[in-house]
Amino acid sequence: MSIIELPSEPSMLTYERLSGQRKTEVVQALTSLLGERHVLHTPYDLHLYEYDASIERALPDIVVFPSNTQEVAEIVKIAAHYRVPIIPRGAGTGLSGGAVPIQGGIVITFTRMKQILEIDYDNLQAVVQPGLVNLHLSVALQPQGLYYVPDPSSQRSCTIGGNVGENAGGPHTLIYGVTTNHVLGLEVVTADGTIIEIGGSTSDTPGYDLTGLLIGSEGTLCIVTKIIVRIVPITEYVKTMVAVFDTMDDASNTVSEIIASGVIPSAIEMMDRMILQAVEADSHAGYPMDAAAVLLMETEGLQESVQEQVAKIVTICNKNNARLVRIAADEAERQLLWSGRKNAFGSVGRISPEFYVQDGVVPRTKLPYVLKRVSDICDHYHLKVGNVFHAGDGNLHPLILFDSQVPGEVERVRQAGHEILQVCAEAGGTITGEHGVGLEKQEEMALIFSPQDLQVMQKIRNTWNPEQLFNPGKLFPLPGKCADMHHL
Amino acid sequence: MIDATKLSQLLQHNGQQTRVLTASQDLQAHAIDGVVPNLIVTPTTINEAAQIIHTAHEQNITVLPYGHGYHKNIGGLPGQIDILLCTQALDHLIEHEAPDLTCQVEAGITLATLQKRLAEKGQRLALDPPYPERTTVGGMLATNASGPKRLRYGTARDLVIGLQTIQANGDLARSGGRVVKNVAGYDLNKLYIGSFGTLGVIVEANFKLHPLPEREKTLIFTTTDQASLLQLAKALTHSSLSPSAIEFISTHGTYHTDFAPFHIAEQNYALAINYEGSTITITRQINDTIKLAQQFALHGNDLEGNEQERFWNSVRAHTQGPLVCKVSILLSNISQYIEYVEQLQRRYKLMTTLISHTGNGILYIEINPPDNIVQIVPAIAELRAYAQKLGGRLLIERCPTPLKSQIDVWGDPGADFFMMQKLKQEFDPLGTFVKGRFLGGL
Repeated sequence: MSIIELPSEPSMLTYERLSGQRKTEVVQALTSLLGERHVLHTPYDLHLYEYDASIERALPDIVVFPSNTQEVAEIVKIAAHYRVPIIPRGAGTGLSGGAVPIQGGIVITFTRMKQILEIDYDNLQAVVQPGLVNLHLSVALQPQGLYYVPDPSSQRSCTIGGNVGENAGGPHTLIYGVTTNHVLGLEVVTADGTIIEIGGSTSDTPGYDLTGLLIGSEGTLCIVTKIIVRIVPITEYVKTMVAVFDTMDDASNTVSEIIASGVIPSAIEMMDRMILQAVEADSHAGYPMDAAAVLLMETEGLQESVQEQVAKIVTICNKNNARLVRIAADEAERQLLWSGRKNAFGSVGRISPEFYVQDGVVPRTKLPYVLKRVSDICDHYHLKVGNVFHAGDGNLHPLILFDSQVPGEVERVRQAGHEILQVCAEAGGTITGEHGVGLEKQEEMALIFSPQDLQVMQKIRNTWNPEQLFNPGKLFPLPGKCADMHHL
Repeated sequence: MIDATKLSQLLQHNGQQTRVLTASQDLQAHAIDGVVPNLIVTPTTINEAAQIIHTAHEQNITVLPYGHGYHKNIGGLPGQIDILLCTQALDHLIEHEAPDLTCQVEAGITLATLQKRLAEKGQRLALDPPYPERTTVGGMLATNASGPKRLRYGTARDLVIGLQTIQANGDLARSGGRVVKNVAGYDLNKLYIGSFGTLGVIVEANFKLHPLPEREKTLIFTTTDQASLLQLAKALTHSSLSPSAIEFISTHGTYHTDFAPFHIAEQNYALAINYEGSTITITRQINDTIKLAQQFALHGNDLEGNEQERFWNSVRAHTQGPLVCKVSILLSNISQYIEYVEQLQRRYKLMTTLISHTGNGILYIEINPPDNIVQIVPAIAELRAYAQKLGGRLLIERCPTPLKSQIDVWGDPGADFFMMQKLKQEFDPLGTFVKGRFLGGL
């Protein structure tokens, strides 16, 4: 993924950076807890942890690798004692800078906490540690005919802890929902180092739905150390199809019409010409390189229901001038089509040194209008843009291509990104569907939330993270950007 | 004690349209578990409602939100109620974006009215709590009410995409939005759902909708052997079939065996399985279910149309009797727990009807007679202790008011309760929203 220097205005630091001597003290405390091997603190070692998959970067002071919840709690206590920020990090695949330690501090990496602790086949749930790679859970469940539903495109490397932090989605959320719809309970460490269990393996735990509140809180409220997830039987029948269009409008109208018809496929993904060319050059999945847009659609469930849905979808595609509708003949072809889609971001590396991806969501009926506006905005800034996104949810992912070596280009990219989110907000949508606010969309929070709305969110942060040591400098508009945020 | 007349003048001055009731008989009729409000106000706009709460906050008096009053006796005993804020006049369907399968609605509309309006365009909100004609959307969300079809469609947390609330200081605040996928900021919708109005008053909600199913059909199996029914239920949850509801019913030792129009004999058990979808998928699923049931020597009847609707309404009604406990427990422990309930009812000479959303591990125990406190208090204590022993929880869904001073309807809070207290303190430092009804007295 693309990485560039961070030229944006300096965010207001809540903390003074650690002095050399103080850092030595903190390192000593952490080393006596975890052992030397599990504490990194030299500049050479730290560079690997200064970025995620966004365009932001910042160097941590220390990186630690705890092996259990108790150690995490102790790390939090040490950090509290020395007033050092703490940033939890999964696999660093996040797209909004959530794991970038913008104010320095201690990065907690969960690579040693990656066990599946329990699989309860009778009750269809599993207990996992946050460092577990998303796909590894489904792979472990497969022999029993079960799987874990949320499937971010980075599922081969991203962790379930990271998914919980960002409330990650994926192509199949259209019918099954995002991470929050599949997590039953959590074990977390609070700001004072207390370990508590939230939610649980049974339904409707009395009291506030803290599980729901903490999922997607981007590491700003607690550190998650254990996750109870729902698992489900693999569906009996899946059909994947590709519809090829000569105009973006036809493709977008097809999406609206499918949704309005009441057919709910498990996925509707759109790729435009630029993306198709990159994907095809990379994965040779058989996507047409001259089409204006392609819809990759999947429907699953009972064989009878899938056949019915496929018939309806094909009819709607044809009605909207699809040049071709192709149904994957077998599992190999299906996998090939999906690998093209899931590796789309990587494939773009073939045509541009860097890219910036946005994550706005709009009502599905507004797709044709918003896509046109995205294209106009990028034209205005002389930027190339490709679209590969979860069309069924109205979740756009415009990829703006750029080269940071060209003077002024990064600024134009940021400006175009901002204007795109403005259009999404004006169309009744939101600024992020699954990537999170993190560092890059703080300012845009004010596009969709009033100062009063944000003040309520501040109350949440004050409750859980009173010293603001958990992932500081994220999620909220920066002071000065929003008049009513003085008490940040 | 506030001066009702003075306050009434203040509120009417601020909000011209707001209806204020102070007559004793009106107040008595709206008593919550015996606590009579000092004033009943019915704002006609969301801004008026916000103004009322702002005034209450300034005057340091308490407010309790109130829809149609269907859920008014749920929860613990309330503290003093200065203002009962009635949301009935906030009943507009603001927008139904049918092609987007979303809607935006004011919280005082009843669920039945909302469903009727959505059905005009072939859609519905896939929540099926009991008595939709008496339940406002706000009341449903504040109590996190649900029904048998939660198995397939989930609960409010899965279908709400945005909320507007009035905060304790009278500020209006939005959370979420109007699109089906959104991770901007903290997911406050989850926090307000099921919070009994202790953090904010829900005045508007945005929902994700579903198309109305083409057809619906129910299969009912009855037998004297509960184990075979629960095995069938488990087999269904592990199959590729997607029933909308799997409901276990026990009429073991009760005088309520009438699940009109379906009669379940006394000393019997039933498993009702509901399927929704196209004719072809329903046929396939019904056939598969019948085959599966034959493995357990079970033979079923089917219901459709009006009869089916009446049957499910009576199932829902049994979860709302005068005394009903709700147990959350793992599916694998349900059978064991049911045996315990039966043994206990014999011991205490009580009668019970059990209704279980089996696929969700939820069991409603309707206890009769509801007013025999001497027997009921220790019986519930035992039921609660056994649920906890199996890693589950028991709360009292509905009960006569006198029982509430004898036994905590929610049970002991968990280890995360201190965070809930902190949240309440941060959201409502002056205690503007009436305390006492929610978990741990929140």
